[in-house]
Amino acid sequence: MSVNINADTTNGLVLTSDTSGEIKLQSAGADIATVDSSGITMASGKTLPASALTGTVPSSSVDALSTATGSAPSYSARVWVNFNGTGTIAIRNSGNVSSLTDNGTGDYTVNFTTALSASTYCITAHTNHVTNTSNTRGFLQSKTTNRTTTSIRVVCVGDGGSILDFEVIDFALFI
Amino acid sequence: MDKRIVYTNDDGTISIIIPTAEWLETHTIEELAAKDVPVGKEYHIVNASDIPSDRTFRNAWTWE
Repeated sequence: MSVNINADTTNGLVLTSDTSGEIKLQSAGADIATVDSSGITMASGKTLPASALTGTVPSSSVDALSTATGSAPSYSARVWVNFNGTGTIAIRNSGNVSSLTDNGTGDYTVNFTTALSASTYCITAHTNHVTNTSNTRGFLQSKTTNRTTTSIRVVCVGDGGSILDFEVIDFALFI
Repeated sequence: MDKRIVYTNDDGTISIIIPTAEWLETHTIEELAAKDVPVGKEYHIVNASDIPSDRTFRNAWTWE
């Protein structure tokens, strides 16, 4: 049994009680949620709205992304961006990026919307040219001093060793 | 109108800040300037169409 708090459609509020230490929230006699010493459990088919899900989820409950397989923990990107660094520079898509600073040929600063907890992050990046067949490959390079919790400045180096603009530059950061 | 923020660096070169769509969903270009322009730098907000698309001599660009 349990303590029941029932919003009855005929009699209004109906309370029944016992000494189980468990409370059931009910609507028209149907269970919606149960509260006991371990926390709150939603009845089958009942869900909390996203707006109710604020605060911090214990890390022990979030050890893998829903799409991950295997038991190793998985991590999502804190910052990502895809942009065209040639012609009129255009940001195609991004996450947690407020802006891109064009500092010169192949020289860009990615500015984060929300600062990171530390600058000891890991970056993965990719560049490619669509039309320039002589420098189809490249990589991103940065100085330690250009890596902060609020931004990172990178240069794009082509396979010939020169700093170049690339048509596709995509970048993700993990910490 | 699509905007850009331009400021001059200590070595005379210029930097151009391009806002993301996600930023502009909830903030203004002026708020972006306050956040991403280096402290103490004078800046100018211009139309994106005023920025040359020919980047051949990008490192020689200056603000006039």
